[in-house]
Amino acid sequence: METHQIELTVNGRRRSVNVKPNELLINVLRNDLHLTGTKYGCGIGECGACTVLLEGKPVLACLILAASANGATITTIEGIGAEKLDPVQEAFIDHGAIQCGFCTPGMVVTAKALLDENPQPTEAEIKDYIRGNVCRCTGYTGIIKAVQSCGCGGEHKKVTAKKQP
Amino acid sequence: MDNHFDVIGSVLPKKDGIAKVTGKEIYASDVELPDMMHAVVLRSTVAHAEIKSIDTSEAEAMGAICLVPDDVPQVYYNERIVSIPEKTYRDRLVLPRKVRHYGEAIAAVAAETEEEAFAAMQKIKVEYKELPFYTDPLEANKPGAAPIYESVFLGENKFDVVNNVACERNITVGIFNCCPTCGTRFDYSCRLDEYHCGCGIVYTPAEDDGKAFDNAEVILEKEYDLSRVYHAQMETKSAVCRPEPEGGFTLWTTTQSIHNVRILLGEIFSIPLNKINVKRVALGGGFGSSIQMNSITPICTALALKARRPVKLVSSREEDMYDHHKYPAKFKFKIGATKDGKIVAGHLTVIVGIGGHNVQAYPLLGCMAGWYASLYKFPNLKFEGTAVYTNQAPCCAMQGYGNPQVNFAVESTIDMLAEELGMDPIELRLKNYVGLGDEFWGQGPTVKSTIKSCGVEEMLERGSKMIDWYERPQPGSGDGNVLRGVGLARGFHTSGTGGPKPGEVIDYSSASVKINEDGSVDIMTPIMDHGGGTWDAAVKIVSELLKVPYEMVSLSPTDTRTTGYDVNTHATRGVYCGCGAAYHVALKVKQELLTVAGQFLEEHPHDLDLIMDKESGQGVIVTKGLDCKRMTVGEVAAKARVLSMGTIAATGSYRQKNCPPCFVTNFVEVEVDKRTGQIRVVKSVTLGDCGTTINPDMLEGQLVGGLNRGIGYSTLEEASYDPKTGKLNCEGFYDSYKMTTAVEMPPLNKIETGFASTYEPTGPFGAKGLGEAAVNSIASAIANAVYNATGVRFTKLPITPAEVVAALKAKDEGRI
Ligand code: FES
Ligand code: FES
Repeated sequence: METHQIELTVNGRRRSVNVKPNELLINVLRNDLHLTGTKYGCGIGECGACTVLLEGKPVLACLILAASANGATITTIEGIGAEKLDPVQEAFIDHGAIQCGFCTPGMVVTAKALLDENPQPTEAEIKDYIRGNVCRCTGYTGIIKAVQSCGCGGEHKKVTAKKQP
Repeated sequence: MDNHFDVIGSVLPKKDGIAKVTGKEIYASDVELPDMMHAVVLRSTVAHAEIKSIDTSEAEAMGAICLVPDDVPQVYYNERIVSIPEKTYRDRLVLPRKVRHYGEAIAAVAAETEEEAFAAMQKIKVEYKELPFYTDPLEANKPGAAPIYESVFLGENKFDVVNNVACERNITVGIFNCCPTCGTRFDYSCRLDEYHCGCGIVYTPAEDDGKAFDNAEVILEKEYDLSRVYHAQMETKSAVCRPEPEGGFTLWTTTQSIHNVRILLGEIFSIPLNKINVKRVALGGGFGSSIQMNSITPICTALALKARRPVKLVSSREEDMYDHHKYPAKFKFKIGATKDGKIVAGHLTVIVGIGGHNVQAYPLLGCMAGWYASLYKFPNLKFEGTAVYTNQAPCCAMQGYGNPQVNFAVESTIDMLAEELGMDPIELRLKNYVGLGDEFWGQGPTVKSTIKSCGVEEMLERGSKMIDWYERPQPGSGDGNVLRGVGLARGFHTSGTGGPKPGEVIDYSSASVKINEDGSVDIMTPIMDHGGGTWDAAVKIVSELLKVPYEMVSLSPTDTRTTGYDVNTHATRGVYCGCGAAYHVALKVKQELLTVAGQFLEEHPHDLDLIMDKESGQGVIVTKGLDCKRMTVGEVAAKARVLSMGTIAATGSYRQKNCPPCFVTNFVEVEVDKRTGQIRVVKSVTLGDCGTTINPDMLEGQLVGGLNRGIGYSTLEEASYDPKTGKLNCEGFYDSYKMTTAVEMPPLNKIETGFASTYEPTGPFGAKGLGEAAVNSIASAIANAVYNATGVRFTKLPITPAEVVAALKAKDEGRI
């Protein structure tokens, strides 16, 4: 199968990759760019483990063709709190939102997206927003508390879709 | 919290927290190696068949490395080597010559990319001779059913499989199975229609029951049907294997026991254990699914050895869902009591459809007997368990190892018994529960110990207040479309599998602890952490004992070549047994530290003590009582280096000689919508008794996580099979296998947890386990609450909306 070169801005870095037309974004991130924080949990858009931000919006990397993201700006978990932990990440650690941690990258990315859209979400809004992210370990309450604790304004920094000049 | 502890019981940042929130934590599926190939597995498209031929020529022509049954060592193994070898059943090869369930691995392919491997795999041609298949153990068990196995091994002995029975266990206490004439106990290992005593008498099981239940004034007989469930751990089973130049290999794999994987692979591939290295990596959820070596692990190893290159094999979710399930169970339970609520006898019969391989149903049945015998005092007790092969995914432990199933049967029946006797369910439980000073069966009939800590009464009393127990409605008394009810159940799990004498289960753990020259400490442990905080507990225990601040104590990366043996992170043994070993090794280090410090300070070690100096961030050695001479731990270690006195360190193995129960009490409030049949848990009060709470926040996380999975087990989850095709009805897809999301959880302020104020004298700093106990009685409490709400008793799980609607309609029409 022929490949096409695509350009992505991932976590602020310009990357170019050769992809087949049917290649999924999750595989490009994990295998070509070695960003293994984005997890595979189901491959059919049901678990949220592969959530990344595309132009600042949460998407499931297992459902997106890499070619369709050509030119886009993507933030993966590695792009959040790379220098200093983001308040959401701090909150996850402080509120028992992590057990095995396999859902955590997707949850953190989803939580960032929620707080970007709605800086003070209610409990019901948080539950509804993360219902597509499966966590088999925690029972979700630690995650909900962590997100809530960031929602008092100020603390949470919006992920801005920065493009390289 | 006890204020004499410096770190035990404190909420401190999880050691792996930063790695996990930043996506840097490495799981087996994240390992990448130079020159690595990618593998996929060819899985059976039929449920039961002889494999007549496998043709890989086209795949090989594409440059792929193929693995077929002829390529693997013909060693029969059991993937779970927690039991002693004499009690271990062996029925499987790395790749089988006969398919025993849909989705079973029959060949594997490695190529440069996963896509190429997949394309090559699609070119493999398999010819099957199909056989009748069974998705119901009752069908498989019928005389004349097609044999799923002709014979299997128990230890070194081969035996014939009859009526697809994988194993049976019959366990009695009291006057059951005793000859009514001479009193001799009948020992039998399979169900019999008649017992023939040496004294000449012929005696039937019915007469046996009659005698045991003779003094019962109330007798209940109930049946229960518990579903097959998928573990749904978030990480699908994965392995990466790298052959090493000097022979042998290094392996990164999803497992709850790196050492058992090493031993099994050594046996299968006849490779010395010093040439096998299994790395400890993070585990993306276990819940029991990786107690055994996963089926893909030896496949990946065989491929890497054949290709002489590193190979990576990551299961898809669909493959994973066809790999392992939780044991389903069909129970018959008979209980007898006097009018004043004293239990006289119990008789529990269970049939378990174990799937296409026997991942040790023998200890499962023993444990089921033990959970039953340890809930209430049955002066006369009988357990008859039968494990039957079926053509389904093999079953293995899943959080509780038979305990949620047994608990559901017993705790539902106890509620019914209370109603029959006109007694409050709490009062009946308090009259009969197994508690302080009683015998606890921690792992079936061969691993027992005496209970030395017990918070049952405290938790029942506290919980009843927290949920307003005595204000709950009369069963089925509500009107309107949404019915409200409150229910309770109590349960427990063991902490480890140690007893005064080693039984059928292997249990010990190892650790090394060393003091660095700046006073920081490294712990080398082989134990795995499911995420519940076992590793943090190890750090806290060593930190507390050596009085070195938590931040200064770390876990070293380890593997099987640098650590002593640990059996497994199963049976809720991580803290009590795994960290128990770290505790005992740290004690040795403390002794050595004080001895060396004594030489420097010119004091007898007995006159020295350790204190934690949080300001300087150091452990400090001081003279007892006086604190006039002092040296930090770092100063002692540094001076010992300069004087060439050696490293202050110790290594050791340790076996716990008890298996203390960690008790739980669950109270739940539910709402049942008559129109939709939906059951919502609107409030939960969960109390746990784990002795000293080492990680209070993480223990709360265990209780809430257990609640979540318990809600799924009771109302949603079922890995059911289509009896016509032998396939899972959900076909392995996550969108069809229903699980709980955040939305099904009660509101945050309606989830209450708490801990009993107990101290386990045999545990590290008074601690015992908790993990598995968190789920064991949730479904029972929910079913009891649903009864309280609706007046209808559900005895089958999951309780689906359709069943609720039908049952409530039947009740309204007076049909039940
Ligand atoms: S892996 Fe993408 S949603 Fe599950
Ligand atoms: S922490 Fe394990 S799946 Fe969420």
